[in-house]
Amino acid sequence: MAELIQILVSGLAAGSIYALAAVGFTLLWQASQTINFAQGEFVMLPAFFVLVGVHFLGLPLWPAIFFGLLLSLLILGVAFKRLIVEPMLPHGTLPLVIATIALGLLLKESVKEFYGATAQPFPAIFPQTVYNVMGASVSLQDICNLAVSMLAIGGLQLFLSRTRTGRCMQASAQNPAVAEILGVNVKRMVLYTFLINAALATIASVLISPIYLAKFSNGETLGLVAFIAAIVGGFNQIRGALVGGLLIGVIDNLSAVYISAEYRAAMPLLLLIAIILLRPQGLLGTKEGRSV
Amino acid sequence: MNAPILSVRNISKQFGGIRAVNNVSFDVRKGEILGLIGPNGSGKSTLFNCILGQLKPTEGHCEINGKSTDGVRPADLSLMGVGRTFQQLSVFPKMSVLDNVILAGQEHEGTMLSRLFGKSDAGLTDKAKQLIEFFRLTPYLDTEAGSLSYGQQKLVDAAMAFMAGPGIVLLDEPAGGVNLTMLAHLKDRLMTYNRDHGTTFVVIEHNMEFVMSLCTRIIVLAQGEIIAEGSPDEIRSNQMVIDAYLGG
Repeated sequence: MAELIQILVSGLAAGSIYALAAVGFTLLWQASQTINFAQGEFVMLPAFFVLVGVHFLGLPLWPAIFFGLLLSLLILGVAFKRLIVEPMLPHGTLPLVIATIALGLLLKESVKEFYGATAQPFPAIFPQTVYNVMGASVSLQDICNLAVSMLAIGGLQLFLSRTRTGRCMQASAQNPAVAEILGVNVKRMVLYTFLINAALATIASVLISPIYLAKFSNGETLGLVAFIAAIVGGFNQIRGALVGGLLIGVIDNLSAVYISAEYRAAMPLLLLIAIILLRPQGLLGTKEGRSV
Repeated sequence: MNAPILSVRNISKQFGGIRAVNNVSFDVRKGEILGLIGPNGSGKSTLFNCILGQLKPTEGHCEINGKSTDGVRPADLSLMGVGRTFQQLSVFPKMSVLDNVILAGQEHEGTMLSRLFGKSDAGLTDKAKQLIEFFRLTPYLDTEAGSLSYGQQKLVDAAMAFMAGPGIVLLDEPAGGVNLTMLAHLKDRLMTYNRDHGTTFVVIEHNMEFVMSLCTRIIVLAQGEIIAEGSPDEIRSNQMVIDAYLGG
């Protein structure tokens, strides 16, 4: 029982971080039909921005995190939209997908060149305390990671459903032509979506890097797992991406302990295959038709 | 006679070698319900899109309350007091009926800051609820618009068109795909709104019965030109219209 609690808590904590990246996938897809295969690198990169702030600019941790957030908003939000998505989108989804794969490689190799191939220690933002809960060792860091991720996703959900701008963002995603005629600045709403994705990636990066260290290749697994989480939960639903992320996190940890640590990476893929066969719209997703 | 709320002045629209609309002029006065009819290819949709600023006329221009609509973005037409419905459904399917109707009015309220930090409904909930009640959609207030029947979604569409308090509403085939019961309801609501608020309507429609019973004046287009104009009774008895359009 104690072991199960431990696995569940750490699985949910990891899963909530996958969910942050998965939510980014769904947001970009809904707002601009962008499937961002550089999403893993988007989560890897902000940690290095923070490290640049700490090591090269001599900033304390929290100002460095703020610096990392600003750079992420600028590069992973504004520049990504203006320099890659906008020029590529008129050519269709596939060229854009290929462009994001290329971007992912570029980001990964650039970090390797600039910062080196070795994993960099990343300062912990939460205390490393471990509590004993019903015999299980539960880390405060896991609890805090879970809480911050849930707050971020819950806050985003509230923003989208309870604010004027959120309503405009929803409208822009659902029917951009009509939204434009009703006076909604659709281009601005799409930009907000990219900025939110960059912010979510920064949060995920800052939460996960103290555990896995900051490494140029971190995005490979993260991107794949987040993509699977988004599909499993439902690519057109934020709450689907959340559920998908949590589910993958828990299954990953459970399978590592109870099935095989060697094959743990295969479990999310098996789940993905099962979902695509049995419920292609995802667990919480809705069927969606698109005219071509 | 009161001044025209909409003036269409010598509008022509050329697509390559085809003149879809040829030198069309007419006025619409406050409180009128004008029907714009004609067979497929007669140019009525092109004319409608020219009026709404979605197509730039080759010649001529439109005026709303004496102000030219030249260069006005479709999004800004509602600021000039123009509402519209679309031929295709224009609701936001995953948003509630209430949110759909609020959205139709909120972008003309407040500043960029108040949009980010102000009241989430822009103070429009009561007005939106009144319109939803007017179209008898109150039971569906919190229902996702996309889950309503086609006819009910057309009513949401209409409620959205009225949200910004327009002086004139352009309705693009409001009867298309709507069943008879819902059609009677829609007609009743439009006539009541017209009577109570004096709102002007311009209606493009294929459904002759709907147009004849709703409109106070009808303009008939053929090959891009006006061939007849008058009351529903006059149009009904116009031999040219009967020959050309009603299969008489």
